[in-house]
Amino acid sequence: MKIMLALLKRELLEHRNIWFVPAILVVIAVLLRLSLAFGDLSIDFDLPSQLQLDGAIDSAISGVMIRGLNWMNYIIMMTMFIVACFYTLSCLYNERQDESVLFWRSLPVSDGMTIASKLIIALLVTPLLVLACQIVVAFIFFGINAFDYLAVYFSSSLILLVKLLIWSLIPTVAWCLFCSEVANKNPFLLAFFAPFLLWVIDTLFLSGAIGQYLRVNRWIGFSDYSVLPLVSGAIVSVVSISLAIVKRSQRI
Amino acid sequence: MQKTFVDIQNLSKAYGSTTVLHDISLSIGEGEIVGLIGPNGAGKSTLLKAIMGLIKYSGSLSIFDKDPFKHRTELLKNMSYIADVASLPGWMKVKDMLEFVGQTHPKFSLERAKELLVDTPITLDSRIETLSKGMKTRLHLVTILAINTDLLVLDEPTLGLDVLVRRDFQDRLVKDYYNQQRSILITTHQVDEIESILTRVIFIKEGRINLDFKISELKERYCKLVSKQNIVFSDPNIKPIYQRALPEATEMIFKDVDANELSQYGDVVTPTLEDLFVATNSNSVPASQ
Repeated sequence: MKIMLALLKRELLEHRNIWFVPAILVVIAVLLRLSLAFGDLSIDFDLPSQLQLDGAIDSAISGVMIRGLNWMNYIIMMTMFIVACFYTLSCLYNERQDESVLFWRSLPVSDGMTIASKLIIALLVTPLLVLACQIVVAFIFFGINAFDYLAVYFSSSLILLVKLLIWSLIPTVAWCLFCSEVANKNPFLLAFFAPFLLWVIDTLFLSGAIGQYLRVNRWIGFSDYSVLPLVSGAIVSVVSISLAIVKRSQRI
Repeated sequence: MQKTFVDIQNLSKAYGSTTVLHDISLSIGEGEIVGLIGPNGAGKSTLLKAIMGLIKYSGSLSIFDKDPFKHRTELLKNMSYIADVASLPGWMKVKDMLEFVGQTHPKFSLERAKELLVDTPITLDSRIETLSKGMKTRLHLVTILAINTDLLVLDEPTLGLDVLVRRDFQDRLVKDYYNQQRSILITTHQVDEIESILTRVIFIKEGRINLDFKISELKERYCKLVSKQNIVFSDPNIKPIYQRALPEATEMIFKDVDANELSQYGDVVTPTLEDLFVATNSNSVPASQ
């Protein structure tokens, strides 16, 4: 436990983007909120007094706010998932590049433990940061009324986040970790090139059979259609992670 | 009774059809500083990798009565090693690095590390990449010295460092780590420099142990004759194991030959480790005269 905490702290110190990016997103939210405050519609347009008391106007304005915020929350989630991918692509590659892998491996920490710490960062810490970031942004926009908004928002978005995590992020992150461990020159190229090649072969020679097979109904839910990609994703994840651990344990 | 730290019996290692280590047997006990010396490609790094649990092998190998390949993580609690002094993570601050080692290694003492850092220009807040190569080496050594283990393994630890740093590294090894209960195993091909700190030498050549002796035996068993004359030995049993012609003299290395008898032919001295290394690794057959 103590070792795992040390490993997680190491990751957060080495890969500052993990918490730097959410911080920037919060700053952007603050700036947006400030620009809204300065440009308060009701003052600028000097609405007739009977309209200022009209609840419909208020709800229209807050409706726009809610849509804007939903959109912002979506951006937060996607940005953080991209951060998670870039993090997993670079973490194992970087420690080989600066040769610090030799130092890390001279300490009594197993390779499985180290890889696990990187998975925890990508699959647990990042989604938690997504939620934290979304909560903070809601408070920035709505103040105390954020509770109402968040209750409604999370009732639909939490399940989406979990599905996205299980169907998409886990296999993606596992594949990225594998590329990060095996790539000689550029893990980014390898990570994107191999799926691209598969897509080209699929389109040109197999008339999209693999695509059909893998087509995911990720956004809607656990339909029959989506079990297959879940299974193949799990297989890809387990194989990629195991290979990454084996490969790292052979670094000398 | 002396404790045995490393026990190797009939260890072999092959990469495909190339055999790198043939039937190596050796044991290292407490209180030894063993130099594993061999030319490039002799297999010394492979042997060290096997000891550090990084590769598979055939034969038996146990460190503190454990198989290093199967119990690597467990073993690293009792054995320290420096694979490469340039491997400290540059992005880290010294204090974060020390804290990490403290949290992951049960035998690390932060107080000891700070104590050892006092007489260096290294501060806890410096980032490792801003340190000079010499200081990085020093920091790595300090980190390892602050871990209370009984066996320290070093693979070409001073490769690529200048002579001042190399000498400093070796001196600190003896001063701050070594005692009668601890052992050091060190590989190198810079024979001449390491000689003064070793207690035992193992020459390895083409995957086999060529010579294995205590430094004290060097003086007893080997001697070097520097002669300015052309020598014909009256006793046919006196035969050099190595001979080298210099512009104004001839050097010869002898094994198990009475030094007094040789002194009539010229100056007799104790050969350096380097002399012996060259003698045992050169393929030239001593010229018969």
